Amino acid sequence: MADVQTPQPETGAPPPAGTLPTGEAILQVKGLNKRFGGLQAINNINLDVAKGSIHAIIGPNGAGKSTFLNCLIGLIEPDTGEILFEGKSIKGLKQHRIIQRGIARVFQTPQIFPGMSLTENVTIAALSKRDGEFRFNPVTPLNASNSATEEAQSVLAQVGLADQRDVEAEHLSRGDKRRLELAICIAAHAKLLLLDEPTAGMSRHDTNRTIDLLRLISEKGMTKIVIEHDMHVVFSLAQRVSVLAQGAVIADGTPEEVRGNPKVKEAYLGGAH
Amino acid sequence: MSTETVSGPVRPAAATGTRSMGREALILLVFSAIVLSMPFWLPLLGGYEGLATKIMVWAIFAVGFDILLGFTGLLSFGHAAFFGGAAYVTGYVFRDHTSEIIVAFIASQLGVLVLAAAIGFLSLRRTGIYFSILTLAFAEMMFAAALAIFAPFTGGYDGLTMRTTPTLFGMPMQGLYVFYMGAIMLIFGFAVARMIKNSAFGLMLRSIKENPMRLQYTGVNVWAYKMAAFMISAHFAGVAGFLMVVYEPYVATKFLHWSTSGEVVIMSVIGGVGTLFGPIIGAGFLMYFENVVQAAIGEQWKLVLGLVFVLVVIFLPGGFVQLGAMIWRATGHKVRERRHNVPDMEPDTQRERNLG
Ligand SMILES: Nc1ncnc2c1ncn2[C@@H]1O[C@H](COP(=O)(O)OP(=O)(O)OP(=O)(O)O)[C@@H](O)[C@H]1O
Ligand SMILES: [Mg+2]
Repeated sequence: MADVQTPQPETGAPPPAGTLPTGEAILQVKGLNKRFGGLQAINNINLDVAKGSIHAIIGPNGAGKSTFLNCLIGLIEPDTGEILFEGKSIKGLKQHRIIQRGIARVFQTPQIFPGMSLTENVTIAALSKRDGEFRFNPVTPLNASNSATEEAQSVLAQVGLADQRDVEAEHLSRGDKRRLELAICIAAHAKLLLLDEPTAGMSRHDTNRTIDLLRLISEKGMTKIVIEHDMHVVFSLAQRVSVLAQGAVIADGTPEEVRGNPKVKEAYLGGAH
Repeated sequence: MSTETVSGPVRPAAATGTRSMGREALILLVFSAIVLSMPFWLPLLGGYEGLATKIMVWAIFAVGFDILLGFTGLLSFGHAAFFGGAAYVTGYVFRDHTSEIIVAFIASQLGVLVLAAAIGFLSLRRTGIYFSILTLAFAEMMFAAALAIFAPFTGGYDGLTMRTTPTLFGMPMQGLYVFYMGAIMLIFGFAVARMIKNSAFGLMLRSIKENPMRLQYTGVNVWAYKMAAFMISAHFAGVAGFLMVVYEPYVATKFLHWSTSGEVVIMSVIGGVGTLFGPIIGAGFLMYFENVVQAAIGEQWKLVLGLVFVLVVIFLPGGFVQLGAMIWRATGHKVRERRHNVPDMEPDTQRERNLG
């Protein structure tokens, strides 16, 4: 198995950070708008996210980054515009259906099932494809021989939590809770993962661990959109960066291109910073 | 740090499967033995035969309630609607149609089905305390309706009286027959609840209690699962209401009263929410208290009961079952720690915005 510190390029591995990804788009956003009262929170966003890539979204406070993610996952209904996931519109779908299509989200405070063992945490996700809509079968017991339980064990091993699988999730360290949350997303067969400031408030050490983990799961072909304030994270992970200011995309390109862009500097200086 | 692959041996799957099956069978066997022999041991504690039947009624109610409160984390204050509703339908069938309990059983369960679908559909639009208040409001509306507009059917304040002896295929159902019918229903209900607990369906219910937002964001239709838990628990309440009228062919307005809903909550909390055993013990305790202890200490019993309740909530948030676990641990056994909170939060935009 690949050592996390130096990920081996495998088949399906994302291109190294800083090179623009090519290939088909897993997500296409067209003419997205969202207004909160008098505030244009999202202003005509057009954006394509390449399959298997890590796409960063940066921008000053209040730029509309979180609102954008919330639109993608169905938490906020956009006023106008189209969101196509794998070529199909997700508009008007119930939230859990959007997620069943393969979009997952991690939260700033890791959201897990605190009173349950890690195995149970991940088994729930492994069951979600089959049982997510609704399934009533009280007769078959859920035990170690169940395919969902087995899948959970293997995902836990992938993220390095195998030896804690019987521990209750609330006893994990914050970094491990993040790992568990990612394991939940993997087990739910997410194809696109949305991360809103995954390293906010973390030490440099924990930040680096998170970067390693995100790289690791990228090798499995999972596409990611990361909102980040920490430029270190952006530059070590993202192939492509979109800069948001006042709800609009003002720059877009490789991290290098974006860094040199005068409009970006202006947005940050004129913004809340 | 870092990500070594699997450590430690993976337990052989098949072995775990059969072992837990054997354990389940043993639990069910012991439980059945205790329940079925109740008419023999309860009188030794000063109880009487009818009390055993009443305990069956309330234990069925409480087991079903635990699927909703204990597993799913939803606190309903309106389950009297299903207990009382089923009781009224049963009484109505006995009074005006037939004394056959199978007919009354089917009719009362159909009534509960409709009622629970409607109340569940409307109440589950909200979570937490708002859900509790909605269920309470619907049950109180039914209570008020039974006393006023439906009084010609329900007998108003007098309740529904009848001179029927319930029968099963013509055989009169009285005394110990009713007890054993109730005992079989309780054992069956208990077995179903245990199976739910150990199934994938039960895992979904328990994860609602843990973190409904995460569940929703894992692609699960949380609402459908909540609705299922609500309906199942309503049917248990309905079976209890039906049994109550078979035991004593009379429907009291109290069956629909909020205090009936409150009583099942108290049983669950005193016994130990989420443990299945706990609420059953709670039901037995409360019935014993209301009947035997009341006879011994007179009108003070409510005061004493209140005191017991307060003491349990403060010192034993896990109920009597926690006391058992403490004793078990003190004698050198290993017991898994439990948490006793009942969180229920909404995947809400406001909160998300603050997190972002
Ligand atoms: N539900 C809502 N109702 C009203 N206004 C909102 C709502 N959600 C966001 N906003 C406003 O929309 C704007 C964009 O907010 P958003 O949270 O998307 O910014 P952000 O780019 O994530 O900022 P930050 O970097 O601080 O997290 C802000 O001015 C915010 O106050
Ligand atoms: Mg934000």
